[in-house]
Amino acid sequence: MSPRPRLDHVRRPAILAAAAEVIRERGLENTRVADVAERAGTSAPSILYWFESKGELLTVALGFAEERFYEALERELAGIEDARERMVRIVAGGAGEGDYDAALWMELWPRALRDPELAAMRAELDQRWRRTIADVVRYGKTRGEFEVRDPDGFAALLSSLLDGLAVQIALKDTDVTPQRARELSLRFAERELGCELRAVA
Amino acid sequence: MTEAAVADGARERILAAAVERIASDGIDDVRIARIAMDAGVSTSLVHYHFETREALLEQALEYSFELAGDVRIGDEEGAAPTHTRRLAAMVDQCLPYPGELERDWILWVELWLRAVRHAELRPTAARLYARMRRWFAEAIAAGAAAGEFDKGADPQRTADRVLALCDGFGVRALLGDVPIERAREEVWALIAEQLGVDPAPPPG
Repeated sequence: MSPRPRLDHVRRPAILAAAAEVIRERGLENTRVADVAERAGTSAPSILYWFESKGELLTVALGFAEERFYEALERELAGIEDARERMVRIVAGGAGEGDYDAALWMELWPRALRDPELAAMRAELDQRWRRTIADVVRYGKTRGEFEVRDPDGFAALLSSLLDGLAVQIALKDTDVTPQRARELSLRFAERELGCELRAVA
Repeated sequence: MTEAAVADGARERILAAAVERIASDGIDDVRIARIAMDAGVSTSLVHYHFETREALLEQALEYSFELAGDVRIGDEEGAAPTHTRRLAAMVDQCLPYPGELERDWILWVELWLRAVRHAELRPTAARLYARMRRWFAEAIAAGAAAGEFDKGADPQRTADRVLALCDGFGVRALLGDVPIERAREEVWALIAEQLGVDPAPPPG
């Protein structure tokens, strides 16, 4: 008798995408396995096959969403030669208009306070983002477009600034719209990098 | 004691207990019965004052913010020798130093998360942030008027940037990712650059 084809490995991305979507919409607290199953078009047991707990669901869904984010970002950056344009793209990615998953990210923060594994994951993702920024800065330096002494220092500052602004955007604060956040960040980057960015944006 | 006074006392005790418990357990896991016990009231009285968990979180944050705010205002009225030192003290009030500030911070982070989906929490957050923005912008404008800070930098824009940076670095400090002194230095470095003051932060 021929073995039944194993479809589970095909289903995993679909399940993770569904989980990320539902968590983003409802928050982890209000996400039930049944919700994810429904969104993925599968059954609860196949979800539970992959995840031991809801906490794991969050970690894996977030990891998945971040992978997709970086895939798309790296593809885009590769198609942009101008370093300033790359930096503008980075800021747009971080200043919360759709791409940057503030909603998922924020699920991590309070939980990272009490769960060392989530804290470690958050730190790792944070590092990756800073590295991505620093890489663009170094690229710009070699091209003579940016003048900055410490690319890693700049990356730490910009990412923290973007994080803080992302909170305001997520809270739908009328004083800090995505547009204003982008402007504030671009002006900041301009000063640090010694170049014009807003004209490029 | 009048009935009203007793009632007020109970509400405040509940809030004080809620601040502690939410900070240590998180708003999702906190047990209302525990808060009630700490406050020396019945669970039904807690529910009477705070219909939902979100309402309890919101008001606990506001209560905690006001308490921390008393310390902040106190700094203002006390003898702040220079605008620079005053601004540095204000930054310190916005970072998660152990104790009341750290506890206040934890509640903020809990609120951030839930305000994404519970629109009714946003007005409180907006109101408290607006106060912080105004507080910083006024201090920066005052320093500029006194000739201590560069006049070039727009006070509101600088204030917004400082707060965002405090939040961004503060979260990392809260989570133990960076030492809090580093967070302080980084925020001050931004201020120094925007306002033309000494990049070494005044002693805390």
